[in-house]
Amino acid sequence: MILLLAIAAGLLAGLARAWHGGCRLASPSLHLVWLVPVAFVPQWLAFYLPATRRLASDDLAAAILVSSQAFLLVFAWFNRHESGFWALGLGLALNLLVIALNGGLMPISPETLSRLVPDAPPGAWQIGRRLGGGKDVILPIAATRLWWLGDRFLPPRWFPYRVAFSLGDAFIAGGAFWFLWMLGKGHGKRQNKQGRSDYAYGVFARCRERFAKWQRVEPLGKRGGGKSGVLRSAVGRSSDSAENRLQR
Amino acid sequence: MKRYIRDLGLMLARLDRRHVRVGMAVLTLVLFVLGAGAPQDGSAGGG
Repeated sequence: MILLLAIAAGLLAGLARAWHGGCRLASPSLHLVWLVPVAFVPQWLAFYLPATRRLASDDLAAAILVSSQAFLLVFAWFNRHESGFWALGLGLALNLLVIALNGGLMPISPETLSRLVPDAPPGAWQIGRRLGGGKDVILPIAATRLWWLGDRFLPPRWFPYRVAFSLGDAFIAGGAFWFLWMLGKGHGKRQNKQGRSDYAYGVFARCRERFAKWQRVEPLGKRGGGKSGVLRSAVGRSSDSAENRLQR
Repeated sequence: MKRYIRDLGLMLARLDRRHVRVGMAVLTLVLFVLGAGAPQDGSAGGG
């Protein structure tokens, strides 16, 4: 859920950016898109669908998680040219590394769990067991390889949603936000002299264009046509055709 | 009338193609993020 919040925030920010810049959301050209649903469906069955996730044994769940994330890493590699995918790929690689080194599931310590659910009764969790049909396995810090890459961070107390997340999750959330934010840059941006499409340069170019259009408006009566002359020069071709139709 | 309907259809088709492409990219990102991330919420469930 916390990662979906990052996507929602990124989408809103990207739409706001596109609206402010007067353009539409860019449509990215992602490669090997089919890999993502193929990799996700087994995870959906093993971790998300309540009817099936209890049926998957810990070993099967671990095998599904590692192989699925390996497929997703391939997808991230082939799309590394897209904005934000370096962070998405790095976050996934960190998660996959710590998961693979700890038996195929994301380690979470009993200390983090007691901070996450402070009113849980003692002995509510068993060390070494998968946690509630999810992706986490309860492991003490001393028995965890690369424990600092596991689910050990909690949001501040004022945050309404309680969740434990890893460093990789933070990179993934940041990458998703950045990807959607960059979609708001839109299509057809002019390039500056350095060959970059800066947001500030886009605003400057639009102002210059409007000023040039304003300059093209000729003074009243210069073409002898009075109202029609102003109309022709101010509005351009469309008003010309309208005027011609009127004359005809 | 027919021409207007045809033009409207073409415009909607163009809009749809663009929106579908953006929508597919967002959906792909959602699935990727759900598959790549492993946060643990307080309910001890998945994702």
